[in-house]
Amino acid sequence: MATATKTARERVMALFARERQTPVPVFSGMGNVTVYGLEDAGIGFAQVHGDAEAMARAAASSYERFGYEAVVVPFDLGVEAEAMGRTLNTYASSDGILYPTVQNKLPATADNFQVPADLELRGRIPLVAQAIRLVKERLGEQVAVGSYVLGPFTLAGQVLELDQLLKLAGKDQTQMHVILERAGEVAAREAEAYRAAGADFVTVREMGAASDILSPRMFRNLIQPHLKEVFAQVGGPTVLHICGSTQNIVEMMADCGATAVSVDQKNDLAASRATLGPEKLLFGNLDPYKVLVQGTPEQVREAVRNCVAAGADAVWPGCDIWPTVPAENMQAMMDASREQA
Amino acid sequence: MADRFQELLEELRQGVTEYDEERVKVAAQAVLDEGFDAYDAVMNGLAAGMEEVGRLFGANEYFVPEVLMCADALYGGLEILRPHIEVDPSRQVKGAVVIGTVEGDVHDIGKNLVKLMFEIAGFTVHDLGRDVPLEKFVEEVLSTDSDFLCMSAMMTTTMGGMKQVIDQVRQKNPNVKIMVGGAPLTGDLAQRWGADGYGKDAPNALQEALRMVGSLREMHQEAAKGG
Repeated sequence: MATATKTARERVMALFARERQTPVPVFSGMGNVTVYGLEDAGIGFAQVHGDAEAMARAAASSYERFGYEAVVVPFDLGVEAEAMGRTLNTYASSDGILYPTVQNKLPATADNFQVPADLELRGRIPLVAQAIRLVKERLGEQVAVGSYVLGPFTLAGQVLELDQLLKLAGKDQTQMHVILERAGEVAAREAEAYRAAGADFVTVREMGAASDILSPRMFRNLIQPHLKEVFAQVGGPTVLHICGSTQNIVEMMADCGATAVSVDQKNDLAASRATLGPEKLLFGNLDPYKVLVQGTPEQVREAVRNCVAAGADAVWPGCDIWPTVPAENMQAMMDASREQA
Repeated sequence: MADRFQELLEELRQGVTEYDEERVKVAAQAVLDEGFDAYDAVMNGLAAGMEEVGRLFGANEYFVPEVLMCADALYGGLEILRPHIEVDPSRQVKGAVVIGTVEGDVHDIGKNLVKLMFEIAGFTVHDLGRDVPLEKFVEEVLSTDSDFLCMSAMMTTTMGGMKQVIDQVRQKNPNVKIMVGGAPLTGDLAQRWGADGYGKDAPNALQEALRMVGSLREMHQEAAKGG
């Protein structure tokens, strides 16, 4: 059987070329580091964000140990804010796993959001690009290498105070468009830097624009035009991922110009498939915590089967894999798709 | 006279629901200038307006930007009225609350709406802000002798800290009422951790906060009848 000889990379890249794969690929374009990967790389979570070599090794581990069909860097959501001059707290002294947060967001005005001319050289963008190159050199033939950037609205909310930004969205759309256009430029240039380093596909994460937060009307007027701009500027396979409530905006998501759309467990995937029709690439929507971390291996298997039955072209966890995921659940997730085929 | 007060209450309500801060401020000032009761105006004008906002949010007519703008309009009126509220122990909910977002989490929109609710009700609010080190919650509850502790987390990655805080606070003062909220929590989890209340997910936490404005108004009405 031809599928047996295909590499993970061939399967994923063929899928992006709209050739459906059997078994359905299991991967994602978001963080996929586990505590086992951190162990393999011999580094703590707080430290891994600042070390390209460790980042590359830790990310590769989910493929090497479990057969996860993509290797993705980075692991945090602070790269853009840092490149824009903000400071991150990585919680180096904390025992548990805490994701870095932005410490000094600015008041939400267009003046406070200026794109640096040398963006690609700032913060950790060069470090993430280096991690991509390392993974690509070592595993590039076998497995798809992915990276991600924040969507314009989410990115702006990492640089500017989010509550003020949300109010600005309601009060001053002209100023919002200026901010989002600049944020879109950051996202597109960052994505292109990662592609130049060897990323096979780039995911744009616009979690701040779900219908838990913004109205579908605001999504259409304010968010979608800037997502379209980003996808028009980024080459190669791309994915638009939005977590949270997306049922009412999934059609607009599919119309942003990304190669594929990804949604999380709050989305009724079968209904979205019916809305989008059979052609559009739709990824999702395994619950990354309640199922993948807290569930039994059998519950993980069932959830994977449900994703496939609902019409997922690839099984994607709805967010970053939470690092303390049990190893047997990672294995169950990978096995379930193969078993079903 | 009563009609005029009703008119002003309606102005306050509509000013809040239509996030018209100027309109709220003008009506609030009129309440004072014309000698009406500031506390009544807060509860039956501003808070009633926010209750309607909660309904609109639940019905997917309003989203987070609108709710935040409504809250701003409410604050505009509250700042004018609050200094003129006569402290009347028979009808005001009393107490102190410590509130904050746990370490690792900088999402404070839901927390700020819960805080607003407590402020309307006349509580003394000790707001620790966001990304609050866990030991800080414990210290603050004890040093302020507060009745309530409210913690929020928007991320799975940070919610575990709440359990540690609950355990430590319970050890030292079992009577403190503890409420937790945020997207990743479940009622089951909140209960297992020993919390007294919880908000089911992000929008529900927001709604829970807005709903509690309503239940506090009821408490106020009960107290008014009783007094």
